[in-house]
Amino acid sequence: MSDIIEIENLSFSYTSETTILKDMSFSIRPGTFVAIAGPNGAGKSSLLNLMCRALKPKSGRIRVDAVAIESYSTQALAAKVAVVRQELVPVFGFTVIETVLMARTPYYGSMGFESKADREIANEALQATDTARFASRPLTSLSSGERQRVFIARALAQNSPIMLLDEPTNFLDLKHQVGVYDLLKAAQVEKGKTIVAVTHDINLAGQYCDEILLLGADSSYHIGKTKTVLVPERIKEIFDIDVFAGRIGREEFFIPLGKFAKNHKKTDKGLKNI
Amino acid sequence: MKQLLTPKKLAIRVGSALLLLAAVMFVCSMIGTETVSLKAVFTGGGTEASINPDYVIFFRIRLPRIILAGLVGAALACAGVVFQVLLRNPLADPYILGISSGAGLGAIIAVISGFNWTLWGRSPIAVFAFSGALGTIWLVWFIGRLTGKFHVTGLLLAGVVVNAFFSALMMFLTSIAKSDQVYATIFWLMGNMKEGDFLVLWIAAGCVVGGIVALFYIGPQLNALSFGADDARSMGVNVAGTRIIAFGIAAGITAVSVSLSGLIGFVGLVVPHGVRLVLGPDHRQLLPLSGIAGAIFLVIADTLARVIVAPAQLPVGVVTAIVGGPLFLILLVKYSRKVNWLK
Repeated sequence: MSDIIEIENLSFSYTSETTILKDMSFSIRPGTFVAIAGPNGAGKSSLLNLMCRALKPKSGRIRVDAVAIESYSTQALAAKVAVVRQELVPVFGFTVIETVLMARTPYYGSMGFESKADREIANEALQATDTARFASRPLTSLSSGERQRVFIARALAQNSPIMLLDEPTNFLDLKHQVGVYDLLKAAQVEKGKTIVAVTHDINLAGQYCDEILLLGADSSYHIGKTKTVLVPERIKEIFDIDVFAGRIGREEFFIPLGKFAKNHKKTDKGLKNI
Repeated sequence: MKQLLTPKKLAIRVGSALLLLAAVMFVCSMIGTETVSLKAVFTGGGTEASINPDYVIFFRIRLPRIILAGLVGAALACAGVVFQVLLRNPLADPYILGISSGAGLGAIIAVISGFNWTLWGRSPIAVFAFSGALGTIWLVWFIGRLTGKFHVTGLLLAGVVVNAFFSALMMFLTSIAKSDQVYATIFWLMGNMKEGDFLVLWIAAGCVVGGIVALFYIGPQLNALSFGADDARSMGVNVAGTRIIAFGIAAGITAVSVSLSGLIGFVGLVVPHGVRLVLGPDHRQLLPLSGIAGAIFLVIADTLARVIVAPAQLPVGVVTAIVGGPLFLILLVKYSRKVNWLK
């Protein structure tokens, strides 16, 4: 199968003096779960916004499903790519079901109402994200974790093969972090979605994602299988921290070590333990 | 999913609201300093020698004024809805981007120049206010664009600055004007319903009703825009097109209503919030029902303005603020427990 997202010699910057992304090339196969990680300001969110055309590249090409991203109409691109942005609360109190149904806006009939099929799609998304039980509550009355699931439901209701998420576990407690990743994994496995998530949590990424793209602050990048990319030396280099690496079963975990960590001597190589 | 809005539910609600509007308009047309007998009204206009006073009062004076109040109320309420969602700001009203000062400046220029012509039975004040309103909104839009593609903060700041500048010009002109001119200007600024030519009324009705119907059709897009431009775009909504249409229509119907009746505050802020508090934020319902509620509100307010200090008349803008303020507070307290998005 051909790649669903292809990025070729992509460069991006907000001003002419600074460079965020430089000459980046990679591609994503359909049905993979990819994490984008890296330090603040490395361009993770910018890359995500480039992949949904919210930003324009300085140079280089992005192809979605073998077609140049700029040649899509707004509606056609929405049929390919759904986006879950960082936590945002709308000004007005839409309910959960109203919010999820909005994903169907481009398909509404001439009178501006959804069809029965649209409702079924929305209901399915509510079920899949376990949000159906508060479908009629306003978004603002939900907790952050519940609200994040609603936005994922809305993205699912777009019925697009690709889902992009910007820090989907931001502000969530441990249980809800895992809950969100379970949900995404289910969407990947059961519906064959291609999922790209920006995250700060390399441990969750290591557990759930097939591939990871590590962006460095100096416009360097590493992409590949999570197991091969996430090694202590590289994490140390990219995030500029000392790190403790350990293993539970077949999963490898990384814990950052601060200057004041007890009984910790800064080493050149990350500590490997257990 | 019984809580979802369906076309049938919407049609029933809009239909009953329209019936209520018709009833209110009928009752208000019966109220006034002169008692009008319906029976006498429908005997016809009478002959030139002996005109039927009931007919003249009803069809030539009260009805046009009530229709005008309804149109202005509907226009302001709908424009308020649109500006609130486009700027994603609950404090927005039709005048937020400086339309009021532009119209006011136009009006005072017309008063000071002492023009003495009329256009379709309308004074130069109306024509100048209309041009001032549209010119200002264009200027604010233009400056806003310079700060970036529909940058909400840029647009709001441009509105605030243009508003302040034109208000200063207005005050300057007022301070050098003669006292009778000042009085005319201030009276206009307070907002008044004037019986006018039927032709103007029909043109205005066409603009306002057409505008509201068009806005209804972009209701789903406006819903998506409540989540911000990026989100709406990634859901497949044509953001630029929706904004231009919504902005143009809202500015247009506001300018029409300002030129017809001066500055009437509060309707454009209070009515959309009231309807939203009771029925929710879905624009497919919010737009038509705010329009009708705005019409009902202003028809009643104008009737009060006509009769409270009869035979003198109050500016209707005074009544809308006095009646609308407490009414809104009651709604706010009653419903904000139900919907806590105000927090």
